[in-house]
Amino acid sequence: MSWAHGAAARLRLLFGRPSAESRMEREFRFHIEMETERLVREQELEPGEARRQALVLFGGVEQHREALRDGRGTAWLGGLSLDFKLGLRMLARTPGLTLVGVLGMSVAVTIGALAFAAVDTVTSKALPIPEGDRVVSIQNVDALEIDNGRGTHLHDLADWRQNLRVVEDLGAWRSVNRNLVVGEFIPEAVRVAEMSASGFRLTRVAPVLGRYLSDGDEAVGAPAVVVIGYDLWQNRLGGHGNVVGRTVQLGIVPHTIVGVMPRGFAFPVNNKVWTALRLDPLTYERGKAPHVEVFGRLAPGASLADARLQLTAIGQRLTTAYPQSHEHIRPRIQHYARSFLDGPQLTWQLHLGQLVVSLLLVVIGTNVAVLVYARTASRAGEIAIRTALGASRRRVVMQLFAEALVLSGVASVVGIVAARFVFRQVDAMIRQSGADQIPYWMRLEITPAVVLYAAGLALVAAVIIGIIPGLKATRHRVAANLKEHSGNASMRLGRTWTALLVTQVAVSVAALPFAVSGGERWVRLMLLDRDTPATEAFVIATPHLDADAAAPGFRERDNAPRARYTARVAELASRLEAEPGDFHVILMSRTPSDESYLEVDIEQVPTTSASDTAITRANGALVYNRVAERYFTSFDVRQLSGRVFTAGDFVPGSRAAVVNRSFVRLFLGGGNALGRRVRPAAQQPDPGTAAAAGPTLWWEIVGVVDDFPGLIAPDALRPKLYLPLDPAETYPLTLAVRAANLAPTATAERIREITMTIDPGMRFATIRRLADIMEDGVKLERLAILGLVAVTLSVVLLSAAGIYALMSFTIARRRREIGIRSALGARPARVLAGVLSRAMRQIGVGIGIGVAGTGVVFRLAGQTASTAELVMILLLMAGMMVIVGLAATIGPARRALRVQPSEVLKSE
Amino acid sequence: MASRPQPDTLRGSLDLLVLKTLSLAPMHGWGISRRIQQLSEGVLDVNQGSLYPALQRLEKEGLITSDWGTTDNNRQARYYRLTASGRRSLRDELESWRRFAVGLEAVLQAAES
Repeated sequence: MSWAHGAAARLRLLFGRPSAESRMEREFRFHIEMETERLVREQELEPGEARRQALVLFGGVEQHREALRDGRGTAWLGGLSLDFKLGLRMLARTPGLTLVGVLGMSVAVTIGALAFAAVDTVTSKALPIPEGDRVVSIQNVDALEIDNGRGTHLHDLADWRQNLRVVEDLGAWRSVNRNLVVGEFIPEAVRVAEMSASGFRLTRVAPVLGRYLSDGDEAVGAPAVVVIGYDLWQNRLGGHGNVVGRTVQLGIVPHTIVGVMPRGFAFPVNNKVWTALRLDPLTYERGKAPHVEVFGRLAPGASLADARLQLTAIGQRLTTAYPQSHEHIRPRIQHYARSFLDGPQLTWQLHLGQLVVSLLLVVIGTNVAVLVYARTASRAGEIAIRTALGASRRRVVMQLFAEALVLSGVASVVGIVAARFVFRQVDAMIRQSGADQIPYWMRLEITPAVVLYAAGLALVAAVIIGIIPGLKATRHRVAANLKEHSGNASMRLGRTWTALLVTQVAVSVAALPFAVSGGERWVRLMLLDRDTPATEAFVIATPHLDADAAAPGFRERDNAPRARYTARVAELASRLEAEPGDFHVILMSRTPSDESYLEVDIEQVPTTSASDTAITRANGALVYNRVAERYFTSFDVRQLSGRVFTAGDFVPGSRAAVVNRSFVRLFLGGGNALGRRVRPAAQQPDPGTAAAAGPTLWWEIVGVVDDFPGLIAPDALRPKLYLPLDPAETYPLTLAVRAANLAPTATAERIREITMTIDPGMRFATIRRLADIMEDGVKLERLAILGLVAVTLSVVLLSAAGIYALMSFTIARRRREIGIRSALGARPARVLAGVLSRAMRQIGVGIGIGVAGTGVVFRLAGQTASTAELVMILLLMAGMMVIVGLAATIGPARRALRVQPSEVLKSE
Repeated sequence: MASRPQPDTLRGSLDLLVLKTLSLAPMHGWGISRRIQQLSEGVLDVNQGSLYPALQRLEKEGLITSDWGTTDNNRQARYYRLTASGRRSLRDELESWRRFAVGLEAVLQAAES
């Protein structure tokens, strides 16, 4: 078993480095002490002298240590800590390089970590529950994509429950929006999960109080019961232990609380209120049932592939049995956690995107490598001396690697901290709007996996910026480098570096316009004060009304009781206006900063006959809003020409439209808009009617108003079409409410209170300050722009630094030539011109390529910058590059010119 | 006192000496160096520290193995002992060493006569 003993010893020696070192020290100490004692005993020496002699007899302790380390195969590790120390010292000695390198790489690491964390959480297969990867989702997919196939789920569930043996706890759920009314509190709109009892069983999570739903609760006619989430229990019910048995109201129906789920439980999406799913398939025609989602848990020992096989067989049988509803229906099973992603292609695309983002680090790493190489080149002499003193090539490269690792390690830490900051920002934003629609297991967090990924990035970066330049720098012979130490360069920056220089300049030129325009926009977003008088006090409220959720093919929008809704909203509006405190209410279809997109045809030449009309299709950024008569005056939207809506425009059959300034500028070239006509493009529902039937009619532009105040580009500059509001045809309606003597929060509270007395089934999807809603729109954008600016600026900064390094290096290399030429009587100006011309040529080529690149990128990105603007930015860019190039060249060149020719020749 | 041997002469045979010493009893590094010195009556006075790389090498080859133990005066020391394959190797090495010594002796005798 010698190999086993040997292998164990080798592993111990290799990986148990700290213990091997301490073992060595203990053995040496023991040996010397024993020998000392022997000498005292046998030769009667003084202890001090005995110890001295013992050390002599032992031989060079350090030498033996090294021999042992060499024997372990870990000698290089012994020197590594020293290398790290050296690396830190080197970083401090070249603060410019450190700053640029760390900044550049940390931006890349931040973005890499963001992408990794996002992709990781989105593509996770497992729910955060026991064996969460065995929970599955089953969906019917319409092969022809006519329908989404969800209408068949309810009926098929019965079949699947009976025949799909490899999936247990099969059940279904759907979301229904309801007002949650607890005692005297103002109602809160919640997404109630109507769920089969098996949904609780399959998660294997026990309630903290009471029980969860049971199969008996699903029976039609059983008492209405509700299970609530931990936060709701704590925040709205005081966290009391006696909540089980209490009654809360969901919409207009009282429910008895039967249980409380533990903190963090939010299955199936992000829910905190659960009621029993009570849809009886027998009530509906097959394929026309309300939409539900189906879940289950793989039976012990069964795989997803087993389930897929069985499900396909069942699907084929159903297709034969029910050709009318199932002809194109194909069942699909997947990990539940993945079912919120749209198919496997998206997963693949996400990973591809992540790879591209990771490549950003390679690009930036290469940039830093150029800088490091230039510095390494200037250390060729030092390297040569170390080599001459016996350091192996591996040893030298390891030192450079350690230095690089320190640099990239610092950058990684900075990157992780920055990523954490961004995560918090995004998290706060998500929490503010629509948190309940994002699956609860998808969270942007710095997990150990993210840290590991960042560490991996640091390692890759260290290889690029340490090992590659290191190998290149140590390729030359010692003698040549020693000569360099005495003043002659032997490391060359050949064609590769010329190419790099050109690329650097090109990339900077191409990237800077984005940084400049992004930066400008960011500053404007920061400075913008959205609390303009018009929007300051407005509260936006979007009321919904509970519909009969058991209706066939239920969708709230289609099934809401329209007449009742219109009457309730009208009552709310008039009650508010009658309130003391000078309430002012405006009705519209959408919030001013959040309108629907529309594609329209615009009639080019005003004419009475529609047959010979030239038509332009206006699409893309056009949005529309249906507004009440006093919309424009209330929001201080300035009237520019024609007129705004009058009472006559709100009678049936009237087809008047108002457009904004941007509409005229973009679609009519700033010309006269009055009398022009627009209509929804073909195949789009006419916003004037609820149904899409019949030929669409023309709307005639009767007035032009200014862009909406307080918004910022692109929202502010979005072309807009205003149409008269017909409350009876609009669901949901949006109310903008302003109370002269009340703060917005108090106004919002009053709206809820009044609504409660009108109809408890009426709830608000949104009830917030208009200014806050407008702020939401720019918040995410602000963050995105900040990211874009950071990336482009770091690229530009790195490029500038790279150019500087390469240029100084080039000049330093030609020092001798410059000295000789000036010794031969050449005029300084001529000498400088000679040196600079090559550099300037390279920069020129780079600028040329960059300009061409920018043009292409701008076109691809659909940027709407004018040619003049573009030329300005590019000139600025080119100017900056030339300045950087000159700044990098002039210093070394002047130094070279001051060199005494005799010195240069002597040094030869 | 006998003249000091050349280190080179020793280096090749150090492994053999260590293996031989350990074949008598498990022993710590200092003990091994003392034993070699005593048995050779001071002729083979090894540079004591160079013993340890040899021990490490032999351990890596699986010929010896080591563990912490306690000495008679209650100190912690690393004890080395021969493995089965170390014992085999010692046998082979001794055999070839003896053949070599006999051969060498024969050559030297012939040269002297």
